[in-house]
Amino acid sequence: MSSSSAVLEVRGLSAAWEGMPVLHEISFSLQREEMLVLLGPNGSGKTTLLRCLVGLERPVAGSIRLEGREVVGVPPHRRGIGLMFQDPALFPHRTVVENIAYAPLLQRRPRRETEEEVARLVRLLHLEGFEDRRPDQLSGGERQRVALARTLAAEPRLILLDEPFASIDVELKAELRSEFREVLRSLGIAAIHVTHDREEGLFLGDRVALLFDGRLEAVGPPGEIFRAPRTERVARFLGYNVLEAGGHLEAVRPEDLEIVGTGSARVEGLVLAEGTTGREHLLVLRTDSGERLEIRSASASTGPPPGARVGVRWNRSVRVSLEPAGSSADRGRD
Amino acid sequence: MSAKNEGTAFLVPVVAFVALFALVPVALLFADALVKSGGYSGFVSVVTATRNARSLDNSLEQGGLSAAFAVALGYPAGLFVGRYAWPGRSVVRSVLLVPFLLPSLVVVLGVLDLFGTGGVVSGWLPATAFFGSGIPAIIAANLFFNVPIVILLTATGCESASVELEETVATLGGSPWRAYRDVWAGPTALGAAAGGLLTFLFSALSFAPPLLLCGAGARCYTLEAQVYALDQTYLEPNAAALLALAMVLLLVLPTAVYLTLVSRLRSNPGRRAPTLRPLSRRSPIGWGLAIETGLVLAAEAALLAAVLDRTFEPYGGHGAGAAWTALFSPTTTAHLGVSAVGALGNTMFFAVVASLIAILLGVASGFAIVRRPDRAVTLGLLLFVPLLLSPVVLAFALASFWEPVLGGVSGVWSLVIASQAILALPFALQSLEIPLAGLSPAARDAARALGASAFGAFLDADLPRVRDGLITVGLFAFAFGLGEFTATNFLVPPALTTLPVALYALTSVRLFPEADAAAGLLLLLSLAVFAAISFGGRRVEL
Repeated sequence: MSSSSAVLEVRGLSAAWEGMPVLHEISFSLQREEMLVLLGPNGSGKTTLLRCLVGLERPVAGSIRLEGREVVGVPPHRRGIGLMFQDPALFPHRTVVENIAYAPLLQRRPRRETEEEVARLVRLLHLEGFEDRRPDQLSGGERQRVALARTLAAEPRLILLDEPFASIDVELKAELRSEFREVLRSLGIAAIHVTHDREEGLFLGDRVALLFDGRLEAVGPPGEIFRAPRTERVARFLGYNVLEAGGHLEAVRPEDLEIVGTGSARVEGLVLAEGTTGREHLLVLRTDSGERLEIRSASASTGPPPGARVGVRWNRSVRVSLEPAGSSADRGRD
Repeated sequence: MSAKNEGTAFLVPVVAFVALFALVPVALLFADALVKSGGYSGFVSVVTATRNARSLDNSLEQGGLSAAFAVALGYPAGLFVGRYAWPGRSVVRSVLLVPFLLPSLVVVLGVLDLFGTGGVVSGWLPATAFFGSGIPAIIAANLFFNVPIVILLTATGCESASVELEETVATLGGSPWRAYRDVWAGPTALGAAAGGLLTFLFSALSFAPPLLLCGAGARCYTLEAQVYALDQTYLEPNAAALLALAMVLLLVLPTAVYLTLVSRLRSNPGRRAPTLRPLSRRSPIGWGLAIETGLVLAAEAALLAAVLDRTFEPYGGHGAGAAWTALFSPTTTAHLGVSAVGALGNTMFFAVVASLIAILLGVASGFAIVRRPDRAVTLGLLLFVPLLLSPVVLAFALASFWEPVLGGVSGVWSLVIASQAILALPFALQSLEIPLAGLSPAARDAARALGASAFGAFLDADLPRVRDGLITVGLFAFAFGLGEFTATNFLVPPALTTLPVALYALTSVRLFPEADAAAGLLLLLSLAVFAAISFGGRRVEL
């Protein structure tokens, strides 16, 4: 796909924190109406990347082009990029409506237009009845809805979401992330969503990008990334077991491992724990070479007890490398 | 014993101490004076007497002017200290409390050394001799004490502003000015207002500056100085008590507003983890604030340097260091009635015991608040009562109430210690607030579940987490005791003279070089205590 339709193009972006490199030559692009999920463990540089994009940090090298215009050096209030934090950061002394109307008032939009926009966003985010409440009178989910409405009211060209559901309880989190996804999709706004929750990331993203130690190790559609991880770290992050076999590394899904007699096994080990997670049976074992393996089975209800010596084999695996082939990758739509 | 009973058991010593050494003596002093003077009419006639009314005017004038200038000078520096990361920031933030705790006489000497006749600055720029006497000199001394307070409280406000909200404003299209207006102007104004009120309280009741910087007579006396004069010079204890009552009534409103402001300042969400910004080379506002901060700090340092410098001037035909030798000479001992070493020993003894009491009260208050959070507000208000009491009023009340019980001067040392501990309490215990707020009930419950007694759980789970706060409380109370002059001067007989009181005595007989050496010694001791406080990242909260 041509990059001319990209709302955002990042090339060779590097950043440092107190002299220590945090991001290394990050390159990727984001298309209009696309949601890119940035996945990675804590400390991998996800938030720094967002802060560079929005202008709160200055990269040491590289280029950030927003709708074709270079924005490195442009202050955040002139970039037109919205950002939502884990903390909704609402004005504590303003009502829901006043919080949402903040950006339109800054932009000196006509009063009537502002009122209509706020009313539309209140309906869109299901905030009817809460208009005159202050943030301390709202639940965590309601506060995040107000924060999204406030961000949308600024009419940004792109929205960055920095783990906005991290402090929300599990049930509400599932509801909110679907709702946010739908709202952004319906408005056709491109977004980058940062999370360390792989399930959330794979579910939400049109594409996912995996960041480790400040390097992008994979970018692509969730299904493709999940089916064919290329590096050991990506595979492990996505829940694969990684085993050394025949002089190379193989990534195997927990459900593709099978307990067999020691004669026909590819590896052997000791059972550490066994039990059910409710949906499936889980067996954890340590192989003779010291690898910890998880074996999941939807059909089994029991397994060998802890301390038993078992053999394991598999028929399906992905060959992975220890390190990525290049310093960054940009597969998928580009 | 239930948690509530345990908490109450620890409330008792705190309440008893504040009641016995502050509330009851002061209440009885006022009640007795009102009865003897015929009630309200007597009170009115004392307050409206010409010289007393003038002291009220002086208090309002000196307090108001000092507060206005302190906010004007301290607010920009507070923004710089609270917002930007720069080398030495944490040291400066800690050392800024040194002026606040210095004996007022040291500062008076410093003002004279800088702007008085033949002063370091006035000798070079004669126009600045304007600040060498009268109201300008008093305001200069008050500013030296109080500008750092405004800086610290403004910085606290700055640090409490939500970084996320400020960044959100930027991403919503708000300029840096707009972010200032909508996010951190509020908390910084709260801090500056709290600092301004504290400046007003301290300046309206200042004692040594009007006594020594306004020439002869009582022309510039504040209420505090006038209460002292009524009792000690004019021998009118009843009138002194009634004027002290007027002073306390005058303080109620500003103290209440100050406490409200500080409590709002501390309830801000961003307070726990201040985020400092680098000072951009292209930020003219940042550099403007840096320059203003530099000038204020330089002025503070110049006064301290002038005091130290004077101690090394030739004296009595001898070379540098002669003032130090003279301070410890038999002649000085004869003037003071006690040797300088003895005065230093007294000072250290009082300060150490007062700081131990402050630590014990800190542990007891901490335990009481942890077990009785429903009583935290009551306890907090009780511990702030001393803010309403000026040193002279407290000393006056303690002397009236306790000296008959103690049988004269023999027990006076205990009153000095009690007064120093009481006066230090409101500020010292602030440093415990953050550690106490961070205590985990889960750790305490875990200790109880493992078999620890309630007090054992407090010792094992809570105390280690407030240890640094308690050390700060102790060091602060110690530093406060080192510098306390007004109440101690009121209470001690010559044999128990402390170094600040000796300094006053030396100034009175115009032995300025010896006084400079005593001031230098106190200054060095205060700096050492603050080095100890800042060691390990501890810090005092106002």
